[in-house]
Amino acid sequence: MSAPEPIHALAFAPRGSLGAAPAAPLRVSFPARDIVQVMLRRGQDAAFAEAMRGAFGMEPPAPGHTATGQDATAIWIQPGQWLLTAPRGVEGALAARATAAFTGFAAVADQSHGRTTILLSGAAAREALSRGCRLDLHPRAFGPGRAASTPIAQIGCLLHQTDATPSFELTVFSTLAEPFLHWLIEATAPLGVDIA
Amino acid sequence: MSQRFRLPSGGHVDRSQRLGFSFDGRRYEGHAGDTLASALLANGVRLVGRSFKYHRPRGIFSAGIEEPNALVELRDGARREPNTRATVAELFDGLSATSQNHRGSLGFDWMAVNGLLAPFIGAGFYYKTFMWPAAFWERVYEPMIRKAAGLGRASGLPDPDHYEAAHAHCDVLVVGAGAAGLAAARAAGAAGARVILAEQDFLLGGDLLNEAEHDAWRSETIAALEAMPEVTVMPRTMVFGAYDQGVLGAIERVADHLPEPPPHTPRQRYWTIRATAVVLATGAHERLIAFPGNDRPGVMLAGAARTYARRYGVRAGETAALFATHDAAYDAAFALAEAGTRIAAIIDPRTDSAAMQRAREAGLAVRAGSVVNGTVGGKALRGVEIGTVGSASRGDAVPADLLMISGGWNPAVHLASMSGAALRWDDALLAFVPEEREESAWQRSAGACRGVHGFGAAAADGAAAGRAAAVAAGFDAADIPLPDAPSADHRPYALWEVKGGGKAFVDIQDDVTADDIRLAHREGFSHIEHAKRYTTHAMGTDQGKVGGLVGAAVLAEARGEPVASVGLPRFRPYTAPIAWGAMAGGEVGRHFQPVRRTALHGVHDELGAVWMDAGIWKRPAYYPKAGDTDGWASVKREARAVRERVGVCDVSTLGKIVVEGPDAATFLDRVYANTFSTLAVGRARYGLMLREDGIVFDDGTTTRLGPDRFFVTTTTAQAGPVMQHLEFHLASAWPDLDVSLASVTDQWAAMSIAGPKARDVVAAVVHGLDVSSEAFPFMAVADCKVAGVPARLFRISFSGELAYEIATPAGYATHVWQAVMEAGVPYGIEPYGVEALGLLRIEKGHVAGSEINGQTTALDLGLGRMLKKKGEFIGRVLAQRPGLTDQSRPHLVGLRSVDPARQIRAGSHLLVDGQDCGWISSATQSVVDPGWIGLGLLRDGEARIGSRIIAANPLMGEEVPVTVTSPHGYDAENLRVRT
Repeated sequence: MSAPEPIHALAFAPRGSLGAAPAAPLRVSFPARDIVQVMLRRGQDAAFAEAMRGAFGMEPPAPGHTATGQDATAIWIQPGQWLLTAPRGVEGALAARATAAFTGFAAVADQSHGRTTILLSGAAAREALSRGCRLDLHPRAFGPGRAASTPIAQIGCLLHQTDATPSFELTVFSTLAEPFLHWLIEATAPLGVDIA
Repeated sequence: MSQRFRLPSGGHVDRSQRLGFSFDGRRYEGHAGDTLASALLANGVRLVGRSFKYHRPRGIFSAGIEEPNALVELRDGARREPNTRATVAELFDGLSATSQNHRGSLGFDWMAVNGLLAPFIGAGFYYKTFMWPAAFWERVYEPMIRKAAGLGRASGLPDPDHYEAAHAHCDVLVVGAGAAGLAAARAAGAAGARVILAEQDFLLGGDLLNEAEHDAWRSETIAALEAMPEVTVMPRTMVFGAYDQGVLGAIERVADHLPEPPPHTPRQRYWTIRATAVVLATGAHERLIAFPGNDRPGVMLAGAARTYARRYGVRAGETAALFATHDAAYDAAFALAEAGTRIAAIIDPRTDSAAMQRAREAGLAVRAGSVVNGTVGGKALRGVEIGTVGSASRGDAVPADLLMISGGWNPAVHLASMSGAALRWDDALLAFVPEEREESAWQRSAGACRGVHGFGAAAADGAAAGRAAAVAAGFDAADIPLPDAPSADHRPYALWEVKGGGKAFVDIQDDVTADDIRLAHREGFSHIEHAKRYTTHAMGTDQGKVGGLVGAAVLAEARGEPVASVGLPRFRPYTAPIAWGAMAGGEVGRHFQPVRRTALHGVHDELGAVWMDAGIWKRPAYYPKAGDTDGWASVKREARAVRERVGVCDVSTLGKIVVEGPDAATFLDRVYANTFSTLAVGRARYGLMLREDGIVFDDGTTTRLGPDRFFVTTTTAQAGPVMQHLEFHLASAWPDLDVSLASVTDQWAAMSIAGPKARDVVAAVVHGLDVSSEAFPFMAVADCKVAGVPARLFRISFSGELAYEIATPAGYATHVWQAVMEAGVPYGIEPYGVEALGLLRIEKGHVAGSEINGQTTALDLGLGRMLKKKGEFIGRVLAQRPGLTDQSRPHLVGLRSVDPARQIRAGSHLLVDGQDCGWISSATQSVVDPGWIGLGLLRDGEARIGSRIIAANPLMGEEVPVTVTSPHGYDAENLRVRT
């Protein structure tokens, strides 16, 4: 029996164009991601950084920042902790790779099913996010490669900007992904949104 | 009567756009650019409402947010909004408005009889009169007063519009877009700062809108602002409050100027603005003078009459008089004269002034050294009585249908005061202005709101403030073009009140007279805050903007002190009324709070689950089936399936935390009351956590996955608090421990498979694991595959039956559930919900949230033996307090209704010989031994096992005899779980 594909937390979310119909609507999609939480062991900073360079080709990003390696992105989430994300692959493979690389330097917890990522992209993305996000996302204050954790619509959200379009990846607890998406639809519909 | 008071030209209304509207059912016409008030005046409508207490006829008094009188109900049906100020309601085609606060018609109000009773219903009347008999208050007096009082009617229907919350950030926030605000925004914008310019009006310019000759500077400045990419201009946006650290709140009236909001558009938006620096350019509110009859329709603030003439092209009267104490107010007389209104008299208490000279030169009749000491008329002003300063005798009467008054200007210091600025008395302006403070460079006032009047002076002041704000936010100063305009003299003669017969109002909206203020003083309410509450002075929708200081001055005179030492009541948000809907924002209906769903939500939905809320989670209460007579039938059917065959239950909501690190075992030994360092890898153990104070905090099973890796589970309700508790102690108490915590509640879905046939079902779906009792005993844990996907199998039980829990990554939950259900078909498997789960655990005697309720100790719950004898743990010391170890504390017992048909309820009190000795914490119906059973906490509980007591529920009128039992009535030896 071949292993079935997991069901995405937003598998049954609405799709298509919603709300206003401007020339360039916002785009929302649900990229399938493997996500691993990495937690530094006490005093292992240098060894961990070395392991990160060796296994993923990047430095552990500084507070409030992200880093992108050969095939994965690291997002700083709290002192000594990062989320390591990569496009969805074989079940548990990213966690196994991280565990192999970091044993002795960091603990690893697979969160591929526990966190759900929503990608929001378009010129009006900042305006839409301002309907619930208290952070200043103006280019002078934020930008590609920056990350922050913040409550949006009463839901904890890890937000990181991926490009200057601007595009933002919004990562939330999977069991709260649906109400979070409802909020996002309310916030984006007045500006026009295509959900893929 | 078609706009016969409208001027043929001038102002900021578009006469080519004709907008139809109705007031009290009559149809009128106005123009784009009108407010409801200006359109009513253009049509000669003078009587617009009735006053709060005496139901006196009232007219339009102002031209802005300070309006005390012209409060109307706007729109119809579900959109009807009471207490809308006609002076800020932007006219749209089809607007419908109704006057409020009268019985019968506006013209003939039965409640006006209150005016005749006025001598008896002064300040404090309600407090004194409706005291006796006390029982009358709730049933007679209050309903009567409520019916008589109040302003306007709420629609009583759900609000059909939606509202939005939004957040904005800027370097410099400028509040108000008059001359000072426009200049401030431009100066800050030119410096390169991110600027937000918020203006409550729908047009920018403030008083500049009354000055055609300065319109070029206004237009040019607005164009310059619009060309700056980092400047955001927000008209129709009222900043209502200033809070700590540069946070200000504002309401944007997005669609109030339209019949209804277009699709996808909120009616209003509630902004939270975070600014590095703030310039307050909120202008000033003109103040009234207290004299008898100063509330008659036709009495209006002088600046308002000028605004109606210049901005709206509307004459507010045919024959006008001006009663003013300073030169700046004379412009109103000139404006009205230009508009073709006959100026009957200018009444001024001063002996001479430059403006008086100019008025005389213009041929206007000036009565120097004079005051208005009365008005003539009923529902409209017919004349003005003029007397001499200091003389009590009534003078002659001059016919007039408009009396323009000005006692000076009150700087709008609300936001400055809220953000911490002290107020300083200005002896020249006779007003409070914000104290200039070096230490608060991030926030400054500019223009009329700090007493700097005149366009040229205000714009220069605003530009300086905008520059300084930009510098405070880290930018270089920049220069901007400024208008050149002389300033009129705004320094008033100190005249607050003209004493005479009749009511002289200091608060027109709340019907508070100068005599009421003196009464408050006589009765000991001499502090301004006490006088305010005793008389309701300055408590209406206008918050005393036009008369607040006048009331303070009357109080000052009564106290024999200067106004400066009496002061004003504390300013608080909101500076003007805002809609409740805007405060709720989008968090209504299903957005009130997020709904949390397990990965199996869709499965339960398909099974027709009846849902229950567990915090923000939705959990299946039970799954009704054809043939179930009621909910209890479903619950008992599900529980029986578990007791007799096998059932499956979604337990994904339990909190799950991975605790990992070299010190993980040490850490758990400290946070749990029992020991985990001795737990073998691949085994689970029940754990009990105490709070610092020795009360039980939470329970759950914890598994050792590896030497340094544990899997902690918590109750659904305490998942968040336990995580916080663990993080807090790691960070603060034991930073030396090398332990990391990861919440994996959402990563893993989990289901419990319970019942005598559980092993058969589990064996059918699990691969690569021997699940025989010998190989996989009670409390064993192992990773495995279930139906081809990764899973973890736990042999743990909450129901008292042989049971397993299968945890699987959430995306596979549906697949695993379906495999389990399929494998269970031969054994009669049934899904069971939270209600059956509760039934089973009560039968078994397991405690849950109803018993671990934040008041109970481990001893109370019969878990005292779990407290380890050696080693420290959180709660150990305080759990030994005498009060917590007292043997007579209520102790966990089982309860059974003597008559199996008589229900017992959680919350009922347990009476022993009439004495209240405890309570029922959980109750259900047993399926093992039919009848009502429960768990409870009972004083000397163990000693009372076997005795019969009473479960009393006075709310339900019930007294039910119950037998006290051991809580562990079902399979006390735990043979079933170990089979």
